[in-house]
Amino acid sequence: MRLIAVAVLTVFCGVASSRLSAEDSFKLHVPLGLDAKRIRIPKGNVLTAENVSLGKQLYFDKRLSRDGSISCASCHDPQHGWSNGERFATGIGGQVGGRSAPTIINAGYLNSGHLKLTKILQFWDGRSEELEGQALGPIQNEIEMDMKLDELVEKLNSIEGYRVQFQEVFGTDVTSDGIARAIAAFERTVLSGGAPFDKYKNGDEAALSTAARRGMNVFFNKAHCSACHAGANFADGGFHNIGIGMDQENPDLGRYVVTLIEGDRGSFKTPTLREIARTAPYMHDGSKATLEDVLNYYDQGGVQNPQLDEEMRPLKLTDQEKTDLVMFLEEGLSSDSYLEVKPPKLPR
Amino acid sequence: MKYQVATLVPLLISVFVNSVAAEEKIDVVLDNLKNPCGVAIQPETGHIFVADSAAGRVIRIVDGEEHDVITGSSIDVYGKGPKYKIGPAGIAFLDKQRLVVADSGFPDGEEYIRVFDVPDVGQPALDYDDCIKVGPLIATDEIKAEGNFYGIAVTEEAIFVTCNGDDTKGWVSKADIQSAKFGELSRFIATKEATDPQTDAPVAITISPGGYVVIGQMGEIGTANDSLLTFYNARTGEKRDDRPTGLHDITALTYSPKGHLYALDFAWIALEEGGLFRLDDDGEGGINPEKITSLDKPTAMAFGTDGSLYITLIGAVDKGQEVGKGQLIRLEPGL
Repeated sequence: MRLIAVAVLTVFCGVASSRLSAEDSFKLHVPLGLDAKRIRIPKGNVLTAENVSLGKQLYFDKRLSRDGSISCASCHDPQHGWSNGERFATGIGGQVGGRSAPTIINAGYLNSGHLKLTKILQFWDGRSEELEGQALGPIQNEIEMDMKLDELVEKLNSIEGYRVQFQEVFGTDVTSDGIARAIAAFERTVLSGGAPFDKYKNGDEAALSTAARRGMNVFFNKAHCSACHAGANFADGGFHNIGIGMDQENPDLGRYVVTLIEGDRGSFKTPTLREIARTAPYMHDGSKATLEDVLNYYDQGGVQNPQLDEEMRPLKLTDQEKTDLVMFLEEGLSSDSYLEVKPPKLPR
Repeated sequence: MKYQVATLVPLLISVFVNSVAAEEKIDVVLDNLKNPCGVAIQPETGHIFVADSAAGRVIRIVDGEEHDVITGSSIDVYGKGPKYKIGPAGIAFLDKQRLVVADSGFPDGEEYIRVFDVPDVGQPALDYDDCIKVGPLIATDEIKAEGNFYGIAVTEEAIFVTCNGDDTKGWVSKADIQSAKFGELSRFIATKEATDPQTDAPVAITISPGGYVVIGQMGEIGTANDSLLTFYNARTGEKRDDRPTGLHDITALTYSPKGHLYALDFAWIALEEGGLFRLDDDGEGGINPEKITSLDKPTAMAFGTDGSLYITLIGAVDKGQEVGKGQLIRLEPGL
């Protein structure tokens, strides 16, 4: 039995802005269930062992925050499903944001759309394009890491280990563009697949328990989960209003703030369900502590509002169906090849 | 894959050899329509029929003047802002007398494919229930009720309709034609499950010269460039091919008299990019969409007997309104 289908993406050169050559290519292992073609690797940010390693160091380095207390990994922690296990993201000085920290698992995966033309939108509200466009946002955010880019560049240039690596990877001293590209390169390697669901779909009928198979049937039919949680990454790349928080006096309007399109009020990006057993609490505001809470919310049809997605309505799920559905989500979408990444040694 | 493309190209997608006219001449045929969503040409007479959707009617145009043919459809609202009032949507003729109309103005599970015996010119309009009803597609324990019908395509053997009630499946439904009667309307192709990547919303539909059912998968209206072009065996529903187009939201497909495939792109998130496109094979498994002209919220199209292309537009919509300044336009023969 093949546990993991390993497709090797050998990303080769031809990119003027990357200094390393084809010999330095990084071998990205694409797990069963994901389509290697849909892992978006921009031509200007070829994956190499060196820039992935550099990105990993930056990702785990708390010196990227003003007071040296917060790194990317503080809120997107591999120990917590690459989220933080808390309702909201907490930044420097204990400041708390208004949204939960989304997992970065498969964040570089193009869920839907045209391989060349469709952008992968990042953050709950899709305000940034691609991982490169996202990476510097939290660093500059005043309640997250609160670093001005020029200060950060100066700070990292004072660290010999970083300056040398930037020269090797990008042929320059530390730049904000290089920081974004390196972090994005590392994040792009955080993939999840090869779960029991994938093995089952690949012909291994024993990969899913009987209860999980029943739950899978509920997922794709009666509960309508796959209306949005579709495709290889269990996410459609779109934005939906499922009513969360819409009964509050001043609800978070999500995607609307970016597009100003009325239909986007209260819409948020569909998150992947891969490794969902590790990423509690759930929803963009972290308001659902458990998967049972999530299913009970959906079963009731959500909070009514003018932009509520048409798929949201009472589902009339039985207790058995809910139990089976949770079993499918927890058992079926958890990979035994989950990427447990330890913090690297940081340069001095 | 190359073999497949090579063999399909003559049947499905043209390899373009002529240059595109720099400027297409556009005539406005009607400018008083309310969210028109369907257009068809009557065999033998060449009369143009339009589903004037938000007016709940189907009209016929004779000598430049409109006449009611069918009236009284219920109206529903589509979208969450902008919102559009919608009644009857796609229309297609089975023969000179029988017009097929897709419901879109009723709740899911209560919508039908309607077949009308259209009255002759000068006769009173039909009531919306004065027809043969095919359907509905009700809910089961596991499957949602179907509705939000849009595009209609017909062969000698069957009527096909695109449905958008169940977003987990994206059904194209089918009713067999049995002489003067019709078989049950049934869910036929689960397009969302058939496409790779899984793509929502089958909306546009036509039949290729080779007899394939050709579907324009609109995708998410908030996602750019995600429309797919897909081809299915009309008898088995088996998928033959799917092609990324790079268009945003395909609402209509049709083959020209010259055999070229054309698409309308509504482009919800970038209305200025909407228009009429010729879909050419890019030789790499995709589509090269060649823009013919920009259009404001195009919804349906059909070639007239003289080769003119008739297109319905929702047109400009005042803020907060649910009905646009709808038009029927005509592009001169030559496409």
